Amino acid sequence: MFAYTVRRVIATIPVMAVVALFVFSLLYIAPGDPAAIIAGDQATPEDVERIRESLGLDRPFLLRFTEWLFRVLQGDLGVSIFTNLPVSHMIQQRLEPTFSLMALTLVIALSFAIPMGVLAAWKQGTWIDRLVMVFAVMGFSVPVFVVGYVLAYTFALQLDWFPVQGYSPLANGFGGWLSNLMLPAIALGSAFIALIARITRATMLEVLSQDYVRTARAKGVGQRSVLFVHALKNAAVPIITIIGIGFAALIGGAVVTESVFAIPGVGRLVVDAILRRDYPVIQGVVLMFSFTYVIVNLIVDLLYTVFDPRIRY
Amino acid sequence: MPPLLEVQNLQTHFGTLDGVVRAVEGVSFHIDAGETVAVVGESGCGKSVTAMSIMRLIQTPPGKIAGKILFQGRDLLELTEPEMQAIRGKDISMVFQEPMTSLNPVLTVGRQIGETVMLHEGLSAKDAEQRAIEMLTLVGIPAPARRVREYPHQLSGGMRQRVMIAMALACSPQLLVADEPTTALDVTIQAQILELMRDLKTRVGAAIMLITHDLGVVAEMAQRVVVMYAGRKVEEGSVEDIFLHPLHPYTRGLMGAMPKLGSSLTTTGRTKLTEIEGQVPSLRKPIIGCAFAGRCPEVTDVCRRMAPAIEEKAPAHWVACHYAARAMAAA
Repeated sequence: MFAYTVRRVIATIPVMAVVALFVFSLLYIAPGDPAAIIAGDQATPEDVERIRESLGLDRPFLLRFTEWLFRVLQGDLGVSIFTNLPVSHMIQQRLEPTFSLMALTLVIALSFAIPMGVLAAWKQGTWIDRLVMVFAVMGFSVPVFVVGYVLAYTFALQLDWFPVQGYSPLANGFGGWLSNLMLPAIALGSAFIALIARITRATMLEVLSQDYVRTARAKGVGQRSVLFVHALKNAAVPIITIIGIGFAALIGGAVVTESVFAIPGVGRLVVDAILRRDYPVIQGVVLMFSFTYVIVNLIVDLLYTVFDPRIRY
Repeated sequence: MPPLLEVQNLQTHFGTLDGVVRAVEGVSFHIDAGETVAVVGESGCGKSVTAMSIMRLIQTPPGKIAGKILFQGRDLLELTEPEMQAIRGKDISMVFQEPMTSLNPVLTVGRQIGETVMLHEGLSAKDAEQRAIEMLTLVGIPAPARRVREYPHQLSGGMRQRVMIAMALACSPQLLVADEPTTALDVTIQAQILELMRDLKTRVGAAIMLITHDLGVVAEMAQRVVVMYAGRKVEEGSVEDIFLHPLHPYTRGLMGAMPKLGSSLTTTGRTKLTEIEGQVPSLRKPIIGCAFAGRCPEVTDVCRRMAPAIEEKAPAHWVACHYAARAMAAA
């Protein structure tokens, strides 16, 4: 297990290297000249050239990539073209809202989706099953921003249960933090819930027809234990896989959700940065998100061995 | 003394899109305490469904169980699901045909054996593991203290069936339902498992309902035999009665289809195994007349029109055939 973990961690290095190369190339791939944008409308060609030089944009690609990579490895993501603040500092300030949103979304999604999927599989073909499936299709089909605005209109504006928008840091109290994040997390989580519930149902249906489920029943094991111990543990691997894959969608969704609910997170930061062509910030955020995704997949891989003893690498 | 298990007129039907499948149609038999009764018949004759009905492991709907299943005087079909759960694994337990798939692949062997005693005897997890080790020792698995922490995929097929038996016997049940316990195993392992079951039966004192299509196993293990065909009981009697004086043409057919040692290789010229011609009737339509009429070599018009009642033709030897008396005279 330990050797496997070490090997898996090492295996993430080339992945991250490719990601880094891609992120760095963004500057070349994306249309528009950052030097021209910074210089503004009134600038002379000489001004633009001067800015280009000061940014180092005129030097060879590989040289700049290597330099950039070394700085990134030391935690230096460069300086924002727009605010002149260190990018790592800017991201750090925005990290808490984003990770809070994702963590709460994950908790809500899992605690609803898995019981829903299990219930639907157990009650296959009944109205409960159909209700869960209708919800799953809807949750998956309606975009995050629509769900977000509907929730905000109903529960914040009409019923006044939650704040309409904004964020309250965890340091200022758990209650405020939770009530501010509740609607965004539900909005962001609805598609995720739908995805996980579907996979849970499908996998559980297959598992419940297995011989060992019959064996468990023949031993006098109760329905709940049959479902959540004997069956669910066997269904865990596909469910965890889909959670890992869905996490990528969660990152993308977080960017939208933060805009809808005016949460000052990394998502907002990157949206603003894209509008301003603030390449160092864009690179920093994309790199950070990619790193998070790689870590999530690493955790998923490690969890496989926890749930299924037959998996050995 | 009333029998341990008494099945009266059991009917298990399944509602399907193409109509009702009458998997078991009016089967009655009993099992006394400590006795081994074999239920034989070819695939699809309703042996397994009978066992699953006794355990109440048939999903209802689409299944529908009627009749009476008296276990220690209580009708199992009248019990609530929690009451039934208290009986499963404790008073009646079951060993299945497929040791490769009948154990949960993600739980340790110890956990799966221990779960039964935790559920029914309220043992702590630690004591349950201790019991699991004892049970593994009892079923002859070497290094039980190590094996108890292992997963099913680390064990061979024979080992797994031993684990299944350990699991089934952990609470010293009154009745063990064994559904083709040796069918999926190598012949050498089969003998070991049968030996083990016989040995444990005397120690634990459990009655066994042995479901099999292997007549060799029947001869080895059982005192009495119930022969089933198309969801019906066609003959019942002691092992001697069934093997030496089978009265139903179907039972005779089964005997003829069994290879006998010394009948072919050692004698001059190989005698051909007889087969039972034809197909089992569809269980989707009600069967008029004798269920075996379509394949019976001695069929007459009476058989096609009227279903024979099951009657005690000799002491404790029951048969459902219009011509049982003729067969008796011949035997």
